[in-house]
Amino acid sequence: LSKACTKMSGSEATPTAGPEAPPEIRDASPANSSDSSSPTTTDTAIDVAPTRKAKRRPDPKPATEAEEAPKVEEQQPQTSTTSQGGWGYWGSWGKSILSTATATVATVGQGLTQAIEKAETSLGIPSPTEVSAQVEQEEKEQAKNETADGSAAVGSALGMLTSLTSVVQSTGKTVITGGLDALEFIGKKTMDVIAEGDPGFKKTKRLMITNTTLSQVLREAKEREELQTAEKESESEQKLVAHYGMLFDEYQGLSHLEALEILSRESESKVKSVLTSLSGDELVQLRAELDLIKDSFSLVEFEEEEVDEKKDEDGSEFERELTEALEGLSVTATADKLSKACKSTCSHITDMNKPEEDASDEDVKRRWSVEEVHAAAIRSLAELTARSIELFHKLAEMILFSHGSTEASVLSQITVVLCKEISLLSKKFTSCLTTAGSNEKGDVLNPLITGVFLEASNSASYIQDAFQLLTPILEISHIQRRAEPSEQ
Amino acid sequence: MATAPYNYSYIFKYIIIVMADCPHTIGVEFGTRIIEVSGQKIKLQIWDTAGQERFRAVTRSYYRGAAGALMVYDITRRSTYNHLSSWLTDARNLTNPNTVIILIGNKADLEAQRDVTYEEAKQFAEENGLLFLEASAKTGENVEDAFLEAAKKIYQNIQDGSLDLNAAESGVQHKPSAPQGGRLSNEPQPQREGCGC
Repeated sequence: LSKACTKMSGSEATPTAGPEAPPEIRDASPANSSDSSSPTTTDTAIDVAPTRKAKRRPDPKPATEAEEAPKVEEQQPQTSTTSQGGWGYWGSWGKSILSTATATVATVGQGLTQAIEKAETSLGIPSPTEVSAQVEQEEKEQAKNETADGSAAVGSALGMLTSLTSVVQSTGKTVITGGLDALEFIGKKTMDVIAEGDPGFKKTKRLMITNTTLSQVLREAKEREELQTAEKESESEQKLVAHYGMLFDEYQGLSHLEALEILSRESESKVKSVLTSLSGDELVQLRAELDLIKDSFSLVEFEEEEVDEKKDEDGSEFERELTEALEGLSVTATADKLSKACKSTCSHITDMNKPEEDASDEDVKRRWSVEEVHAAAIRSLAELTARSIELFHKLAEMILFSHGSTEASVLSQITVVLCKEISLLSKKFTSCLTTAGSNEKGDVLNPLITGVFLEASNSASYIQDAFQLLTPILEISHIQRRAEPSEQ
Repeated sequence: MATAPYNYSYIFKYIIIVMADCPHTIGVEFGTRIIEVSGQKIKLQIWDTAGQERFRAVTRSYYRGAAGALMVYDITRRSTYNHLSSWLTDARNLTNPNTVIILIGNKADLEAQRDVTYEEAKQFAEENGLLFLEASAKTGENVEDAFLEAAKKIYQNIQDGSLDLNAAESGVQHKPSAPQGGRLSNEPQPQREGCGC
C-alpha cells in the first residue's frame, strides 16, 4: 500500500505544472444567483436565515451546464491559479454574504453616509461585463484603491467582515452578479462600523490588495482583532466584544484550515502531474473518472428546507444526524468534539431563554445583556466552525492514509448537516437577542443581530469551502486506488 | 496572562516529529504556547506530527514553512533513534535552509532503560548541525528549554538577517506590536504581500 503512496508523493516534485485550468471557472459563471439577492425584502431580522441561503452556494446548475464545465476548462488553460492564490471558491462567497446582508440590512435601515459613496467610487466597481475580464484589470483596480484616500474599504468590524473585503477584491466577478445594490447595502452599513476599528482603513485596504487563501484572510482578520483588543486593553476600555477570528483561532480552526489547504493543494498538484504523464485513451478515461468526482462536489444542493427554531433543543438530533452521516468513517473522536460543542451551545441557549419567573428562588436569575448573548453567539459559531473544519481536515487525512473509497455524497451530507446546524443556531441566538434586547433601541440591537447573521453566513461559507477542498483529495485517493492492482 | 494575551511580536511555526513505534497522534495535532526571548513575546504555533512511516506521505506535507523542527526520539528505544536520518532528510528537504532543527532525546527520566547514549546522539547532532538535548515529557525536564533553545536560534537568525521574514515559508510572522505608544500604521507592512501561494 505504502508503495503507491510513496510513488505519488515522489511526483510532487513537479508542482502545478499542468496546463489544467483550476476548477474555479465554474464559479465564475453568473448562473442563477439573481434570485438569492432580493434587496427589497422586508423580513424582520429574526425571520431571515441567511445561512440557509448561503447553502445554495455551489450553484445548483442545470445538468447541461455542468456537462459543459470541463470543456470550458480546456479552452482556458491560461486561467492561472496564482491569480487567485489557488483559492477557487471566492466567487461563491459573494452570494451568500450578499444575500445575508440584503436581508439583514433591511432591518438595520440607516441612511447612507457620505463616506460610503466615496468608498464605492474609489472601489471602482466595474460593470458586470468588465468584471468577467481579467486579473490585470483587477490589479489596476487594486492599485487605484491603494492610492485612494483610504476609503476603499467594504468590510470588517462586526468581527470577521474581512471576508467581505476579500470577496470584493478577489472575485469582482461573482459579486457583481449578486447585485450591485446588495453590495452598496453592505458598504453603507459596514462603513461606519469599520471606521471605528480601523481608522483610515489602513488594514482593510491592505487586505484588499493581497491575493490570499482563506486561511490567510482569516488569519489577518484575527490579527487585526488582536490588535484592536490590545489597544483597547491599553486604553483600559473594557468592552465586551466578541471577535470571531480570534475565537476561531483559539479553537485551532486556522491551523486545521491551513493544514487542510496544504493537503488539498498538494493533492491537486499530484493529480495534475499524473494527468500530464498520461495520454490517449488512458487520459480520457481518467479524466472522465475525475470529472465524476468533481461533479459530485459541484452539484451538491444544500437544501432550503425550513429549519424550525424550536427544533433540537439539546443538540441531540444534530449528534444523531452527524453520527449517521459519519458512519463508516473513522473520525469519531473529532465528531465527538463537535457534538459536545453543539450540546453546550444548546444548553447555553436554553439557559438564556429561561423566562425570569421560571427561575427557582435559589439560583439568582440574571438577565443576559444583549452584548453577552451576542458574544455567546459569536463564540459558538466560531467554535462550531473550527470544529467542522477540523473534522474535514481529519477526514482528509484519513482518506489519504487509508486507501479505501470515500463517497463524496457522505461528505456532502456532513456539510449539509453542519450548515443546517449553523443556521439553526443563528436563529436561536438572534431570537435570544431579540428577547434580551426588548428594551434596547434598534441601533443597539440591530447591528448585533446583523453581526450574528453575518458570522453565521460566513461560517456556512467556510464549511462549504472546506468541503470543496476535499475534491482533489478524493481525486488523488481515487488515482491511488486504481493504480494499486497493477502494482501488486 | 490576564493582560494582553495577544501581545506577542512573532509567531513561529514549529513542527514536532515524534519517532515512536506506536503513534501518539494520527496525522497532526495543534498546540500553541507563548514564550519569551530577549524580552520579546513569541507565540509558538506547534504542529505535532507522528514520525511513523504509515503517515509519512501526509505528515511531511506539513513541514513546509516551519521555522523550527523538533525531532524527538525515545532514548529507551533504539529503533526510534535509527529512523532519525531518513526523517531528517525529509525535514531538511522540505523546510528552508534556515529552519532550526533540534534533536531531542525523550524519556530522559528512564535512565535505567537507556538504549541510546547521550554521547552517541550528541555526535549525530553535531555531524548534522542540529541542536541537541535530552528531555522528559513526563517530568517536564528540559521540555521548555527545547522550545526555548530553538526559538533563541530562530530569533538570532532574524536579528542577524540570515532569516528573511519576507521570504515565503520562513515560518515566522512578525506582528507590529501596537499598544505601547506605537501607531501601527507607521510600521512597514512586511511579509505575505504577493505570497499568494
